Amino acid sequence: MRVGLLPNEGGGTYRFTMLFLATIGILISSLPVIVVTIMSFSASDNTGFPPTEFSLRWYADVIALFVNEDTSSAQSVVDSTLTSILVAVIVMVISTLVCIPLAYALVRGQRKIREGMELLFTLPLVFPLVILGIAFLLIAESLRVEIGIWRIVIPHLALVLPFVLRNCIGAMNGISIELEEAAISLGASPLRAIWDVVIPLMRAGILAGLIFALIISFNEFTITFFMYTIDVSTLPIWMYSRTVSSLDPSTLALSVFIIVADIVLIMLVDKLIAGRANLF
Amino acid sequence: MSVQDLHLHIDSVSKNFGGVQALTNVDLKIERGSFVCLLGPSGCGKTTLLRIIAGFENVDSGRLMLDDNDISMMPPHKRGFGMVFQSLALFPHMSVAQNIAYGLKLRGVSASAQRDRVDELLHVIELPNIADRPVSALSGGQRQRVAIARALAIQPPLFLLDEPLSALDAKLRDNMQIELRQLQQKFGVTTILVTHDQHEAMMLADELVVMKNGKVFQSAPPSTVYQRPADSFVADFLGAANIVSAKVSSKGQIELLDRNFDVAVDHPVGTNINVAMRAEHIKLTAEDQAKGNPIGTVEFIRDLGPSTELVIKVSDERLRVRSDNATMSELKLSQKVGVVIDSNTLSIFRA
Repeated sequence: MRVGLLPNEGGGTYRFTMLFLATIGILISSLPVIVVTIMSFSASDNTGFPPTEFSLRWYADVIALFVNEDTSSAQSVVDSTLTSILVAVIVMVISTLVCIPLAYALVRGQRKIREGMELLFTLPLVFPLVILGIAFLLIAESLRVEIGIWRIVIPHLALVLPFVLRNCIGAMNGISIELEEAAISLGASPLRAIWDVVIPLMRAGILAGLIFALIISFNEFTITFFMYTIDVSTLPIWMYSRTVSSLDPSTLALSVFIIVADIVLIMLVDKLIAGRANLF
Repeated sequence: MSVQDLHLHIDSVSKNFGGVQALTNVDLKIERGSFVCLLGPSGCGKTTLLRIIAGFENVDSGRLMLDDNDISMMPPHKRGFGMVFQSLALFPHMSVAQNIAYGLKLRGVSASAQRDRVDELLHVIELPNIADRPVSALSGGQRQRVAIARALAIQPPLFLLDEPLSALDAKLRDNMQIELRQLQQKFGVTTILVTHDQHEAMMLADELVVMKNGKVFQSAPPSTVYQRPADSFVADFLGAANIVSAKVSSKGQIELLDRNFDVAVDHPVGTNINVAMRAEHIKLTAEDQAKGNPIGTVEFIRDLGPSTELVIKVSDERLRVRSDNATMSELKLSQKVGVVIDSNTLSIFRA
């Protein structure tokens, strides 16, 4: 006889409680997404909830925003989007290029060094983001040179590195050194052994890290809020300015696009790692 | 030991790991095409020695001479020795064929020649139809054979194995030992295998190297090591011997179990010695036919089918006795028996 995972004793109260808590949890975490999605289909000009009529006019608005460049505003949505994508891609590439060798060195190196480094890289996670933003702003302002897009890329890197590093370390952990030695004994140079054996086996973790870097950087607001300039700004900043100046549902329609893109990426991560690396 | 065709000379190699002396002046001459087993308890330095030969560790002092070339400082990937690891270390992201062909690919062998070589090896290991399978789909014995084929594919001058059979169950291990020996002879490759299993070492080796605490205690063919162990550690490690303390009583005689035995000994009269005798070399007779041999008491008896295991208490010593004589199993506990010891089978060491 099979024993159910949830005990049936106690008149099903256990089952009911679990179900209730799970429902509450899912509701709370998905509520913003639900509200934003419903609102984006609203037909009215304001953001009163719930909407009385539905239409696709805000989606048309968003598309129009992208197609007909608005020359009146200093920073157009197209520029912001392009900057966001560019920043995210640079952050993704650099963090991966840094983290693969770093993860390799830490896992193959001494345990003490590894623990210290992991702690160091986790620090940006526990720092209040506002303080981090002010700190990076102070650093950027003290520089005498204009560093352009890098004033956003560098803080994003600090935020993203712990996630990417953890994924790479997680992927690296399972790779026995004997696999490398086997490749070397067959004639591969140490670097070739890493390329042929370690990297392919780390692949899932590396890809998960890449996508995480992309999502975190693309959605980052707090630090970027301190760092953006008239020339260099990102999509979240544009959305915030737009919402502050005129709260219309076109921003919400735009966020639905972003949410869909994020969900697709996260599902991709989930498929890729399938229990082989950890996200947090 | 005389070596006809010296292939590898391990020339007084020492190795120290952070203050721990892993190897002390290890000196071995390995003949071309021979099968050498490094045997010893864990921590004896046998794996370190194998890793030094493979190039994964450097020597602190001494040299490795392969065909008169000093390879001590050559990086492992330039040595081109095929190695089979304890974990087998098959590449999980490659198919069986890709695993076997990996070393060939690194050497720039053409794709068609790679395929031919893989087919040939898969036939040799009698697994012709698994080329495209992922290694995760193989059984333990199959993985074993693929790992061996991968190492042999590059036609290595030396074939190194680090406890490759330890993960297999007893019956499969037995079969693999025979297969491994046959493969080695078919390829004629000089082979060095590390093991802690004395039965495996006896099954495989032409030359048995018994190690302890980073030193070589004896290096000889298995039968010599078994019949004429160099000291009491070797005698005890290889096929449980009885180690009994004795004394040189007069010239050419030792006092053992309160009796005198004629043995050729070099030690001066009065020297305390240890005597090793194999369990199967001790014969038992009825008490009334002992004819001056020591008398003992049966303390333990067990019929194992092909043989009988006994423990006989003689004086203050307990002797393990193994006999394939069927009448032995009729002995009873506490029964008195005569213990017949052939002095030619004794090995004598200074205590």
